[in-house]
Amino acid sequence: MVGETGVSMYSGVIRFYTLADLRRYLKELLERYQKEFDRSSNVIGSLLRVEGQKGMEVIMSKGWAKVGSIFVNISEPEKGSMEVVFQLVTEMKPRLAKTEEVLKTFESVEQLPIPEEATFLLYLRGGVPERLVVDTTEPRPVPYALRGKFTLGP
Amino acid sequence: MLEVAVLLERIDATKTEKINENSPSNFNLNVSLSEKTRSAEALVLNFQLDLTTPQSTAKITLAGNATLKGTKDEIQGGITAPDDNRPPQVLITIYERLYGTVYLIASAMKVPPPLPNLLKKAP
Repeated sequence: MVGETGVSMYSGVIRFYTLADLRRYLKELLERYQKEFDRSSNVIGSLLRVEGQKGMEVIMSKGWAKVGSIFVNISEPEKGSMEVVFQLVTEMKPRLAKTEEVLKTFESVEQLPIPEEATFLLYLRGGVPERLVVDTTEPRPVPYALRGKFTLGP
Repeated sequence: MLEVAVLLERIDATKTEKINENSPSNFNLNVSLSEKTRSAEALVLNFQLDLTTPQSTAKITLAGNATLKGTKDEIQGGITAPDDNRPPQVLITIYERLYGTVYLIASAMKVPPPLPNLLKKAP
């Protein structure tokens, strides 16, 4: 199994121990989305530049057939691939914009009166950071440290 | 399953006296581990290992960081010593991964190489 593109846009809950970690995560998430968006839109863009006179026909495949409850394309793999990448790029745009907006306005979250020992639960929906829980029920673990002298053996 | 990645960032090695290469190895290991960053599924530890002979005639210092990736319980298991006298698994892993480097440095300095296994906490 190889993830081609867009596979990081999952839904789930992630726990963070500091707001700085959360900010770092959002920044990395945005960079990853931007990279995926650029890569996918470049593929579509280059195809449209080469065969653009034919319009959207270049991307839209007529080879889809519904098999069970999924659409399958056997006859036009190249066009089929282009069509799904195009669809993905269209979906990526608002996700990218929303993530960017969350990061831009994150300062207002940082200014909230948050207890020092709190941890944070981030809810991602389809890859978009949607809700944040300031969790005071599960405190941050005590920072780990170990100092000591050890003997060595054969 | 817990994954541990060890990154060596600094090596210092000194020898103040000639040591007989064939004499028995008698290095002690002083360890310092401290938390650098932690998330729910990863913990990054800074480490410093000081290997010294009893009269400090030779000293090898290795420093860097170790990244533990796994579930919260797996990470906790990796940093918890089985009892007061034994080292935690992460320390054993760090020493194992660096032992090849330690051996080469000791050989190049012509001192008996430190022994390969971490045994127990010294008094």
